[in-house]
This record gives sequence, structure tokens and C-alpha cells, in this order.
Amino acid sequence: MNVAVDVGGTFTDFVFVRGDGSIGYFKILSTPRSPEVAVLEGLKSIGGVGEVVHATTIATNALRGQVGLELPKVALVTTRGFRDVIEIGRQNRPRLYDLFFEKPRPLVPRRFRFEVDERVDARGSLLKPVDLKVVEALGSKLGEYGVESAAVVFLHSYINPANERVVEEVLSKFIPYVSPSYRVSPEPREFERASTTVVNATLMPIVSKYLARLLDGLRGLGAKGLYVMSSSGGLVDVEEATLRPVQLVESGPAAGVVAAAEFSRLLGVSKAISFDMGGTTAKAGTIVGYEFELTSEYEVGGEAHHGRVVKGSGYPVRFTFVDLAEVSAGGGTIIWRDEAGALRVGPLSAGADPGPACYGRGGVEPTLTDANLVLDRIGEYMLGGSMKLQRELSVKALSKLGDPEAVASEALQLANLEMARAVRLVTVERGLDPSEFTLIAFGGAGPQHAVFIAEELGIGRVVIPPYPGVFSALGLLMADWRFEARVAYPEDLEDSYTRLEEGFSKRLGRIDYFVRYADVRYEGQGWELTVPIARPARFEDVERVFEEKHLSTFGFKLDAPVEVVLIRVIAVIRRLKPKLKAPPLRGEPKVRSYRDVNFGGSRVKAPAYLRDEMPAGFTVEGPAVVEEYDSTTLIPEGWKAHVGGLGELSVERVA
Amino acid sequence: MVSWELIYRATAFIAEEMGVALKRSALSPNIRERMDHSCAILDSSGRIVAQAEHIPVHLGSFRVGVANTLRWVEDNGVSLKDGDMIVVNDPYIAGTHLNDVMLLAPVFHEGRLVAYVVNKAHQVDVGGPVPGSINPKARTIYEEGLIIPPVKLVKEWNVDLEILRLIVSNTKTPQVSSGDLKAQMAANITGIRKVRELIDKFGAGEVLDSWSKAIDYGRTLALKRMGEWEKGVYEAIDYLELEDNLIPIKVKLEVSVGGVNVDFTGTSPQLEAPLNAVPGVTFSAVSYAVRSTLGGDIPTNEGFYSTINVHAPEGTIVNPKKPAPVAGGNLETSQRIADVVFKALAQVAPHSVPAAGSGTMMNVMIGGVDEEKGYWAYYETIGGGTGGRPGRDGVSGVHVNMTNTLNTPIEIAERSYPILYTAYMIREGSGGRGAFKGGDGIIRAFKTLKPARLSILADRFKTKPYGLQGGEPGAPGRVTVIKTPGTKQEMPSKFTVDLEPGDEVIIETPGGGGWGSP
Repeated sequence: MNVAVDVGGTFTDFVFVRGDGSIGYFKILSTPRSPEVAVLEGLKSIGGVGEVVHATTIATNALRGQVGLELPKVALVTTRGFRDVIEIGRQNRPRLYDLFFEKPRPLVPRRFRFEVDERVDARGSLLKPVDLKVVEALGSKLGEYGVESAAVVFLHSYINPANERVVEEVLSKFIPYVSPSYRVSPEPREFERASTTVVNATLMPIVSKYLARLLDGLRGLGAKGLYVMSSSGGLVDVEEATLRPVQLVESGPAAGVVAAAEFSRLLGVSKAISFDMGGTTAKAGTIVGYEFELTSEYEVGGEAHHGRVVKGSGYPVRFTFVDLAEVSAGGGTIIWRDEAGALRVGPLSAGADPGPACYGRGGVEPTLTDANLVLDRIGEYMLGGSMKLQRELSVKALSKLGDPEAVASEALQLANLEMARAVRLVTVERGLDPSEFTLIAFGGAGPQHAVFIAEELGIGRVVIPPYPGVFSALGLLMADWRFEARVAYPEDLEDSYTRLEEGFSKRLGRIDYFVRYADVRYEGQGWELTVPIARPARFEDVERVFEEKHLSTFGFKLDAPVEVVLIRVIAVIRRLKPKLKAPPLRGEPKVRSYRDVNFGGSRVKAPAYLRDEMPAGFTVEGPAVVEEYDSTTLIPEGWKAHVGGLGELSVERVA
Repeated sequence: MVSWELIYRATAFIAEEMGVALKRSALSPNIRERMDHSCAILDSSGRIVAQAEHIPVHLGSFRVGVANTLRWVEDNGVSLKDGDMIVVNDPYIAGTHLNDVMLLAPVFHEGRLVAYVVNKAHQVDVGGPVPGSINPKARTIYEEGLIIPPVKLVKEWNVDLEILRLIVSNTKTPQVSSGDLKAQMAANITGIRKVRELIDKFGAGEVLDSWSKAIDYGRTLALKRMGEWEKGVYEAIDYLELEDNLIPIKVKLEVSVGGVNVDFTGTSPQLEAPLNAVPGVTFSAVSYAVRSTLGGDIPTNEGFYSTINVHAPEGTIVNPKKPAPVAGGNLETSQRIADVVFKALAQVAPHSVPAAGSGTMMNVMIGGVDEEKGYWAYYETIGGGTGGRPGRDGVSGVHVNMTNTLNTPIEIAERSYPILYTAYMIREGSGGRGAFKGGDGIIRAFKTLKPARLSILADRFKTKPYGLQGGEPGAPGRVTVIKTPGTKQEMPSKFTVDLEPGDEVIIETPGGGGWGSP
């Protein structure tokens, strides 16, 4: 039996699909200093473990300064005159009016940045080769300093890596881990490439050792293999994760989008938005043609502003990421008033501890969960009745801000707007119209907010998949293997693609299919558009596809030469997907209770159903509420919910 | 039960989405990579409701620029119809400098004027004798490029190609200008569509009422914070440099119940050099300093702006008369105006104000004629150190005060232009000493590979960024040109020079002042 293990900050989740298609899942407390302890403990209790599919936060936690994950001593070797590129960054400040801002502290302090005489120009000509003797001397110096890992970043190495190769070879004799930028992130833009490479060098010792310990333990359990979720939404093997650990920084969040994409395929919905809302954040991603959208821009440890990371607030990583917009809005997000009396939502969160006021664990600030409770959008019993929420505490907390009913309603509208904004961003930035999409909502809080967000965006259909609370972890079991390689400024397109693909076939054996992309722009433009490339790759086709995409995204074309900056190949090996248990075919669900729910106007009487009792084909018109173990779906007036053959709850606007 | 907060937030999002549209479709790296552009939504009487926070000098200038443009339109008997867009870059109207091209569009809903959307983007070249148009030698505005008075570039949804051709024919990079102008149109179209959707959804009454409340809120919040400041009059003086002269900017800042009054009486008369700051720039710089000192997230809308009153005597460098040249007023004088207002505010709120930052944008304009590609022009600005802060050292290698543009990656610049960089590093030891030391400046150096003409417009080569509370000043800026073979020349802060292949230029930007005795 294959098991998905999703390590989170508080809990480590285990999910597996039994032979009959039913889902088994449980949580145990995470062990942040040595995450493998909890992973192995949980797996032991399952027994008969086959392959382990793993989402890990070790990379992110290490970079965020997690106790017990001390960063290794890392050196940067770079072109003479450019050692401070990683410190200057893009020279902007992350916040405009904040006189007390700080830039992220460089991961390599200046005394460990070493400059070497060497130079390649923008066309790839080697102007000055490195001096072997100098590099040998540097290698032994790094060894003496106790440097464990080194990043090597030379200008224009993405087009001619000769000098980086030499240094890589020499340094490998002296120190255990070497990350040359041409291997980690072979694309132009020196700061982003250097930052990516330095992050990789920093993570290499940590991730290598962690995976080695985990593998060791798994062998003892007789497990058949270990695969890790990368930020690009595919699984990679341990070798790939060890060489380029930089791709693990969004391991966890990627899984949710993978699950949504796979579910969209099962549903036959080609345009979908994945919406994952938990206790502290909400994340949105787009899915077109059953494939999730990717981006190569990300900053680790950065701050978000309306769903997008603020430039300069974290460490940039150029790698393929599932494109997610993130908002600080979750069940625990705090509602407050500023000194001029304006109602505000977030970004502070009450987290899991003390949590919302209604948990009765000492929280006194009102949260979105309190607002939902006061409006009776959620019931007083959670987790199948094992946890009772205290409504009077919510009322008390909200009363500090005004009439609790009005404040709750207004705060939820603000939060929904903010989340809708994040969803808009992931679509509009690509020239897509969100109203043509289906919203696939999950996470503990997703189903409560989904329909309101859909209304905000003009979306007509919301799908709540089965097991919304553990849907992300399910995504791990639905993912394929995906490996990625890139080349900047290729001379011959088809030839370059073929060579990358052959490299994969040699290393990995059977590949199901390759996906080809190119980052293309008009000469002189500062940014590229990523377009899919057909085979054989012909420049005329690239030009045409690029111009079409430019027109659809920006509304115009230019009379300027087109330039391919980068090509990427993704090698995909399909994995068998688990089949989920279908809902019962018959049965008449009982109305468990009638609640006076405020859906954002006045209160209306709404029947509450239990999702487990709803058979396939069952339809209920709003206003209504559907409850399950760890989530509640709200169906306001004007919407109706229908149980589909995959157990999904399809909530649609009544025409 | 819709709250004004909701509508206000939604409006702010529209301004941001305009920015996304502009950035994503612009052609020049200056806009796409450095994000040298800004967007705003105004109500039908021209009051700023919400802006996307991009470039401080643009943001404050919208208030002056839009008001001037609307007045001009009215005075000249022009009527704005649905689908019209007005282009203007005349600094004496639009409020910054010629490179900042403003595009303003009315928003009609069911035949009624309900709002305006506006954006401003720094065009890399608007004509004139030097690449990049910012001409350090200009004695009048006519040597700074093409002046565009408010004219309709778009008439009832149709681009006036004659006007467009007229404009781009005057720039050295017509294709880029044309692309960027279209990006600006795309931004306004986005804004118009989204404002209409907002009104469709909530109704005009509700939306307009919420906008007024958002403006009131901005004012209330600002006044509340200012309430903690001691009432009184605070004075400060700082200087710009021109050849051997120091040019004083003097300020008398009065804190009263209704806000702050900032009086520039005693400031230098206008100059026959491009250091004059039009009122839009002066207002921007003052409001930036006040806004930053107040801290927190005060919305930069008309409500906040209404708490600031600026008195800038006509004929001075902070309110020049046409045809004084103004290109650097936007770039350098604006920095100094912010510095001097901060210096006054440091007396009011000593624990909220850092020592002076580098105080120059270090504008580098270079270009020439390439046999194959024709005319090329490249513009970049270089950050420096911020001042030491009460309780914290300053930050090294960032833009301060009135700009926040990104650098152009060396690997991108080298691919596009005949330049080879030789250094990009922190200028160690340039931050002033203090209990909390100033941030260090930057060293950026390059060689030219083809004959080229270089212009630099900078400041703080003679005067140093001031320290506060006993902190020492930061190191001044410096530019060295090394001609092949071997002659080395230290340059003034404003110059133009012809370079031969192999010549090297080393630029060192100032460090910030220190805060508190070392």
C-alpha cells in the first residue's frame, strides 16, 4: 500500500487508499528537529508500506530559521567585482513608506564570498579562463575554514559554463557539497541565479542528510521506495532532491494543486481554479486543460501583498513552481479595527494556539471562524462532535468591534474579497477570465467560503471534492514523476530539446512523455512569456505561438524580432492513481437540523445535511448547509448542490 | 450590508490590476523590470481615491498633475467623452518631468462621469539632445525633449495615430515608446472596465459614497497620528550642488491641529540648470516624508494629502516658472526636498526619523549609434545607503526616498547594449559612523565597447548625507572616468562625456549618515 506523508508545522499527516477505495488517514505531532522521527513512527503503525510519497517542509523551515536545523557553513565563489550581487539584490526596498525596513540577510556573509578572476561575455565568449592554481588554493582554504557547501556563480555561465565546470571539479576535491549555478539554475539574471544557487548550496547538506536518515529508516520498515514532491507539482527521486534541493521549498502547497488538477481530469472540467484554505492561509492556483499552471518566480521567506510575494522581501528562487497566489486568510485570521475605526482583516492570525475565541483556549481576538459561527454558517460541533465551539465567546470577541452580526458579515466580505483578488491574480495575470472557470475548493475552511468567492468572480460552479480536509495529502498519491531541465539561448531549437530529452531517457529509463516549453520575448523586452512548444520545434512555430499568446495576454503584438531566452523540458512518468470510493447510490438523507443562517443579508432558515448520507444524484437547493467531519459547505440562496458520481459536491448557480 | 471598506479595498485592487496590465505589456526594461510607473483611481472631482504603491515621486504628483490637466482641459474648452484618453508630459501641468508620460481617462457609467483613471510611466527617451533625454546641460525645458500638452491620444476608443506618430517620431527609440504608450492605454482600459464593473455591482451611489468615506478615513487616520506631534514650528536647511555652488533648500514646517504647513520661503531662486522641481514634485517629496514618518499603513489618498499644505514661492527651485529646465528636479531635487523635510520632522518625532540616506538617484544615461541596430539608449539609477535609524543600523545598497526602481540585471544589460561591467559591489565604509551606522553605498563600474556618450546627473558629491543626534555624515558620491590608456579623471556630479571603446567608468554612491554618537 502506498502512503502519502505530508509533514506540516504542527502535524504530520498520513493518507492511504485501501483496496476498496476508501481512504485511511491520521495525524500525529510533527518532530521539527528531526522530522523523520514522526514520519517513521506513523509508517510503523500502518504496516505493509509500499512506496512512500512525501511532502516536506524541511527546506522552508531551515531557511526560516527553524530551531534544530542550523544552517551549514556555505561559501560563494563568484566573478571578481561581483561578490555583493546577492546582498544588493534588485536594490529596491520591500516596503515603500517603512523607514525601518530590513532586507533579508544574505545566506552567505561577505567573509565567505570569494572572488575569482574570470569572465564570459553576454554572447558566451570566454574572455578570461580561470586559473587552476588559484582555484586549488581556494579549495584548500575553504576546506580549512570548515566550509561544508559552496555555490559557484559566474557571470553568463548559463550560456558558457566552462569556468564554473572547472571550479566545480576542483572544489569537489576539498568540500562535500558544490552547487554550480549552471546546474541549478541555468538562466540569465545574475542576482536571481546567484540567489537560487546559494539557497541550493545552503539546503544541500541539510536535505541530503535528512533524506539519508529517512531512507535508512524506511529500509528497516521494508518500504519499496521514497519519492518527494517538488515545488513543480511532480515527484522526484532522492537523487534529484539531493542534488537540487532548492526545488523542495514549496513541496507541501504544490500537492493541493496536483490533487485539484487530477480531480479536474476525472470530472472532465478543463478550466479549474484550485482553492485551498486552511487555518492561516488561502492558496489559489489555475488549471487549464487539466494541467496546473507553472511559474518560475518565487521568493522563499518573502512577505505577500495581495497574494503575490513582495519583490525583495525574501530569497528569490528561479525554478519551476506551481503558480500559487497566497493570502493570509484562514479560519484563525484576526478581525480588528485600526485607530481611525476602519474594519480590517488579518494579516495576523490566532493560529492553532490559542486559536479562534470560540475554541475556548484563551483566544480573545475575533477571527474568521468566530464570524462564521456567529452567523451560524458553521455549527457548534466540529470533528464529528468531538469538539464544541463556544458561540458566546465569539459574540463577546466580536462585540468589541461593534454589532457582532454586522461586523461578522462585513469582515467575511472583506476576507472573501481579498481571497477573490488572489484568485483573480493567478488568472488575469495570464490573460484568463476567471468567470469561465470552475472553483475546486478544499482545506478545512475552503468549502465555507467557496461560493462567496465564486460570486465575487462571476464563477458559476464550485466543486467540493470528497475528503476536503485531507485533499492536499491525497494529491501526493495522485502525482506523477516530473523532472526538469533547461538551456538558455539555444542555438538550434530541435537539437537542444532532443539532447535534453535524451539525457533524461539515459538517466531515468522509460519516460511516458516530454513536455516542452520555451521562455520567449520580443527582443528588448524585460520579461519572457512561457509557451508550450510542439515537436519538432521550429522557430516559425515558436514565433507564431508566442505572438498569439502575447496578443491574448497583453492585447497587442509588436513588429519586433522574437527571441528564445530559455527552453525547458519536463520529463513525465505517469503513476497509477488510486481509485476513490464512490458515494452510496441510494438513500434519503435526513435533515439533521434547521439553522437560522446569515449568508450575507438577513437570516434564513437553512436545512443542515450530513455529507456522508447524501447519495449520488442527490440535489439540494440553497439555502442549505452540508456538514462533514472536518468541514462545512455553505449553499446560499440562488445556488444548488448536487452529489456527483465521484462523491464530489457540485454547487451551481441556479439559472 | 456592504461596508465602505469593501468598496475601498476593491478600488485599491483595481489600481493594482492596472499596474499589472501596464508592467506586463510594456516594452522597455525600465517599466517592465524596474517598475518605473504608477497608477491611480480618482473620483469625478479629481480627488485621489486609491493608488497602487509603486514610485513615490509619481504618486504625490498625481494630485497636482490631474488637477492641472483637468483645469487645462476645461480652460481650453475640451470636452472629455467616453473612450477618450489624454496624454500629457508637460511638467508644468503633469507635475514631474518630461520622461514621465501621464495618460488620463474619464470613466463614464450610463452616460455619467463617475471617475478618472490615470497612470504615469517613465519613458526611456522623449527626445532632446542626449540619450534618455535627461540633459544635465539643459538651460531651458526646450533642451529636455518633446513637450506634450494635454492632447487626446485616444478618441472614443480609437488611437489617434497621427498624434502617436508625432510623439514617437521625436524619441530616439520610437518602437519602444510606441509599445510603452500602448501598455499605458492597456492599463487605463483595465481600470475603466473594472471601475464600471464595481459600479454595476454595488450601484453608483454606494460606490461614490464609499470613496468619500475612504478619503475621510485617510484624513482621520493621518490627523490622529499627527496628534502625537508637538505643535510648533521647526526649521531646516539642506543643499544641492551645481558646479561650485551650493543651492539652499530651506523649510519651515508648522505642525498644527489641521495638519502640517510646509513653507519653502528662503529657498534658492530657480536655476538655468535642470534642478528645478515643479510643484507636483515638491508636493510628492513633502508628502513622502510626512507619510513615512507617520508610519503604519495610511492610505495615500486625498484624505491624507489634505493634511499637508505646501507653500512654495514662485520662481524658486521648488516652484519654477516656465521655461526653467526640470528633468533633475524630479530625480535629485526631490531627494533633497525629502531630506530637508525629514530633517525638520526629526525635531518633531526624533525616534521616528533616520539620518539622511544617499540622497541621489545617481542617474546614468548612456547611448550611441550602432552600425547595425541604430540608435541605442540606456538609463539606470543606482541606490546607496540609507541613514542609520533610531535603534537600527542603516541598510546598504538600496534606493532611498523618492525612488524604488529595480536595477537592470548586468546579464540583461550586457546582452542589449555594448557595455561590459567590471564591478557591482557594496562600497564598504561609506556609511557614516554612529551609535547606529549609516548603510553603505554601491560601486558600479563598466567599460564601453563602442563609442558612446555618457551623461550623469547626481548629487551629494560635495555635501554629505547628514547624521542625526551626533551621528557622522555618510561618504559623498564619486565618479571616475579612466580613459584608455591610463588617464584618470574625477568627474563632477553632473556631466556629459564622450567615451571610446575600452574606457572605464567607476561610480560610487554615497553612504547614509549615522544616527546617535558613535
